[in-house]
Amino acid sequence: MTWRPTALNISFLTVVGWALFLAVLTGRVELAVVAVPAVVALVAGRRPGPPPAWRIRRELSSRRLLEDECVTVTLTLRADGPVPLVELLEPLPPRVGLERGSCHAFFTLPAGQEMRWTYDLRAAGRQHLRLEGPHLRVWGPLGLAAAEAQYRVPATVAVYPRQAPIRYLPYPLRTQTFVGNYVSPTQGEGIEPGDIRPFAPGDQIRHVNWRATLKLGPLHVTRHHQERNADVVLLLDTLSEVGPDGGTVVDAVARGAAALAAAYLARKDRVGLIEYGGQPRWVRPGAGRAHLERLLDALLSASVVFTYVDRDLDLVPPRILPPQALVVALSPLLDRRFVRVATDLAARGFDLLIIAVSPIPAARAAARRSAVAEVAARLWTLERRAELDEYRRRGLTIVEWDGAEPLDAVLAAFSRRARRRVLAG
Amino acid sequence: MMRLAAMVLLVILTACPLGVQPSTPPVTWLATAALVMGGVGVIAWSVPLVAAAGSLVVIAYALALVVAGPAAEPLAAIALGSALVLVLALVHFGARVRGAVVGASVIAAQARQWLAVVGLGIVAAVALTAAAAPLGVALRGATLPVVVIAAALGAVLTVGGVIALVAREGPRL
Repeated sequence: MTWRPTALNISFLTVVGWALFLAVLTGRVELAVVAVPAVVALVAGRRPGPPPAWRIRRELSSRRLLEDECVTVTLTLRADGPVPLVELLEPLPPRVGLERGSCHAFFTLPAGQEMRWTYDLRAAGRQHLRLEGPHLRVWGPLGLAAAEAQYRVPATVAVYPRQAPIRYLPYPLRTQTFVGNYVSPTQGEGIEPGDIRPFAPGDQIRHVNWRATLKLGPLHVTRHHQERNADVVLLLDTLSEVGPDGGTVVDAVARGAAALAAAYLARKDRVGLIEYGGQPRWVRPGAGRAHLERLLDALLSASVVFTYVDRDLDLVPPRILPPQALVVALSPLLDRRFVRVATDLAARGFDLLIIAVSPIPAARAAARRSAVAEVAARLWTLERRAELDEYRRRGLTIVEWDGAEPLDAVLAAFSRRARRRVLAG
Repeated sequence: MMRLAAMVLLVILTACPLGVQPSTPPVTWLATAALVMGGVGVIAWSVPLVAAAGSLVVIAYALALVVAGPAAEPLAAIALGSALVLVLALVHFGARVRGAVVGASVIAAQARQWLAVVGLGIVAAVALTAAAAPLGVALRGATLPVVVIAAALGAVLTVGGVIALVAREGPRL
């Protein structure tokens, strides 16, 4: 850190120059006297001595957050010598707001004393919140000289999409071989009672159905349905994006996918993820808490990458997209390529559910409010309704979601409709 | 609070030329213009505007001295110079701390610093005035051009010296 003169010197020099010039011109000693305090200030504030040595430590309350959660940043500052005025500024990245305190502060620091400065930050959407490090500026007397430095201690906080709880999950048509929460038609070890059959050697005594045995004579046992898990693959459409920064349809898609992933993993299912966009990425189906972290990390960086290359889902290996899996596609259905992929999956017999995230609220939030915009939004709504009906006629199962209301409410309504259809069928 | 203090200092500044010659129109106009410009500068925390207002006050003060031609009165000049330093330092500080958290201890430390520097300036001004009195007696017989050239040289050397001192320390912030 080295001292440098500030712009205030020019202001002082201007006044001194005018006063001395007019003193000479008019021959009045008072004008020369007017310049004296400013000259003394300029000389006194010129060289305040070497800046003291500093130690800065920064602590973050958490490295992982969910959207709308706060992180507390604590800066600890210690100087070897006394400092009459020190300025600290932590530049905030875009889409990050201050929740409490200030990221810009001035302090007076006695020698050897430690100063703690705390403030809370809130991230507006999913992101890698990167804090580069605070700028430190030591001010000399009267602000005529300053020494500044930036302490580069980059820290990243992962801000994951919100995980709203979901109770009404779409049930898969097919189950897998591992133990889970779905009652399988296959008989075996389980809790759910199934058929009753005569006792055979090897049957356990605890399976004997005493009521049937008393009624029928020979020993009878109760068989049970197996409880199995399912493979769920979340298919994300990142081909197109609409909406303001932090509130795009891709953000809504990521939020929905995070909620679904957490809910399915809580039911012991294996959940995979395919990001279908300009640069396809995927996460192999897996289970457990660590796998949820893996999925959330993948969702954190889900974004639109523009490309002219038209890719197909054929390039996705079967271990990533198992044939028995329930595929939950989250998409605004704005790009024909994604519609074609979804139709192809349904035609190949995949158990496919499309959650169509409406781009209209996001587009309205991004556009300026006007009567024309209102009419355009209404027309778009009508066109979209017709388009979705057309997709449904093609055999696609579509659930509409506006991205703002709870996904659970939408899926609950869908579950009721599906149940009614089954009962009617 | 800082704005109020800066406004009070600005009023003191503009009152100095009016105290010398209150009724002459150019002095009144200049003082009013300086008050308006300085007021805008204080409200916007703009140091250049306040510096311009300060320069206007100095011009108005010179004009008032020329028009009224009173006997030498160094006390009012010292007050004007000190108020100029204080208002510029105050507005610069206000501009720096805008939107930031500033503790009461910081303002107290700054006020102490400002008053110390201004006190030093006052002592220097009084000492120079006292030293100039015997010099004035010694130069009583000197021809006017010699005095003017010597004064101009002194003024140029003072400003040049200060610029050299400031510029030697590297680029501005």
